[in-house]
Amino acid sequence: MNLDFGIIAVVWPALLQGSLVTIQLTLAVLVCATPLAVLVALGRDSRLPAVRLPLAVMSAILRGIPPLLVLFIVFFGLPPAGLALDPFPSAVLAMTCYMAFYFGEVFRGGLQSVPPDQWRAADALGLKRSRTVVRIILPQTLPAVLPPYISHATEVLKGTALATAVAVPELTSAARQVFVVTFRPFEVLMVAAVIYAVLDGILLALQHAGERWAARTGTSTRY
Amino acid sequence: MRIDLLMDYWPAIWNGFLITVLLSFVVLALSTPIAFFLALARQSQFAMLRWPATVYVNVFRALPVLIVLYFAFYALPQFGMSLSAFQAATAGLVIASSAYLAEDIRAGLAAVDPGQRQAATALGIPYWRALRRIYLPQAIPISLPPYITRAIIIVKGTALASLVAVNDLTAEAVRAISITYRPYEFLAVAAALYLLINALLAVLQSLAERRIALKHGRVVAGPATVVQ
Repeated sequence: MNLDFGIIAVVWPALLQGSLVTIQLTLAVLVCATPLAVLVALGRDSRLPAVRLPLAVMSAILRGIPPLLVLFIVFFGLPPAGLALDPFPSAVLAMTCYMAFYFGEVFRGGLQSVPPDQWRAADALGLKRSRTVVRIILPQTLPAVLPPYISHATEVLKGTALATAVAVPELTSAARQVFVVTFRPFEVLMVAAVIYAVLDGILLALQHAGERWAARTGTSTRY
Repeated sequence: MRIDLLMDYWPAIWNGFLITVLLSFVVLALSTPIAFFLALARQSQFAMLRWPATVYVNVFRALPVLIVLYFAFYALPQFGMSLSAFQAATAGLVIASSAYLAEDIRAGLAAVDPGQRQAATALGIPYWRALRRIYLPQAIPISLPPYITRAIIIVKGTALASLVAVNDLTAEAVRAISITYRPYEFLAVAAALYLLINALLAVLQSLAERRIALKHGRVVAGPATVVQ
């Protein structure tokens, strides 16, 4: 067996292109899923059963079935309903659907870390509920939420590899297309693995910075 | 809803379900002992054990599981090792899963008071016996809930095997859809079967927690349930 990493000199543009799609997909999912997750977190503990129960059922289903199956549900299930999306938006939609609920659990934990007195105090001061959430409650959840948020963000990054199954040209799919032509799967996959590890490392560095920030802020706002 | 189509393809779907169950079982059965030794190695006082285990765990948790599966399925033949699709999927999933499980098991071991360890050493109890009689009975109740959570993630992860030519539940559902053009029936059945496996694991978890609580009479699964 002889390895030939010289092949990388030829195929790197394809892998770079794939990496860019992976980054775009990760960012798109984070941008779409994060605000939805806040709504999910608020709705899951809502006083109204009409809000709480459907969300509980959706959470159990979307977190209970394989993410790959969610991708196939969007990819195969929407066109017969008259909504034919391109691969990239359908991958974003599918990943947003389940990540909103995984992130939702993270934010729910954060909301529960805010003392209930804060809600009552804001209520007593006559603040509108939306304003209470945005100005009083959410800022206080940040220290508790940031570290698990970023570790779930790495799950989004790694999860984008699934989009290869619905023909999104991201890094894993680019690697596969390159090595089925060059017959050099080991070398190409090694490069893809290194790229994933570097992207992961960036998120990890963000997490450490976030944890330090949370440790500082967390202690200064507690009383 | 076309029940007749569902009936036509039911044998294939059931076969895929059995392969998913078998794959999940084999992967969990193989990766649990590997993860256990990785967790012990990460806590070892010998750098020769600690470092390789740490590198293994951190590398395989940083990669998409699909990349690890591709290594097992596409890259191993380059080294003259040709595995069947099922074997390659098993190998890839075991390698990735053991890294994740090792962290859950390590958290349980790390939660045991270090004084226990020192006391066992002071009493001259050999390492393996101390592990079996002193550390593990305390670590297992702590590791169990995250272990089952991870096991559910691993069961869901077996769907990736469908991307390396294993005819599991997801693969059979997708095949039936591409032949019949009836996505909803088969997607719903596949989702229901995955939820069924996960529900069984959740039942197993509460049974195991109750049994451990009865046996040891200590706090399990949250502050509210002290069982004596």
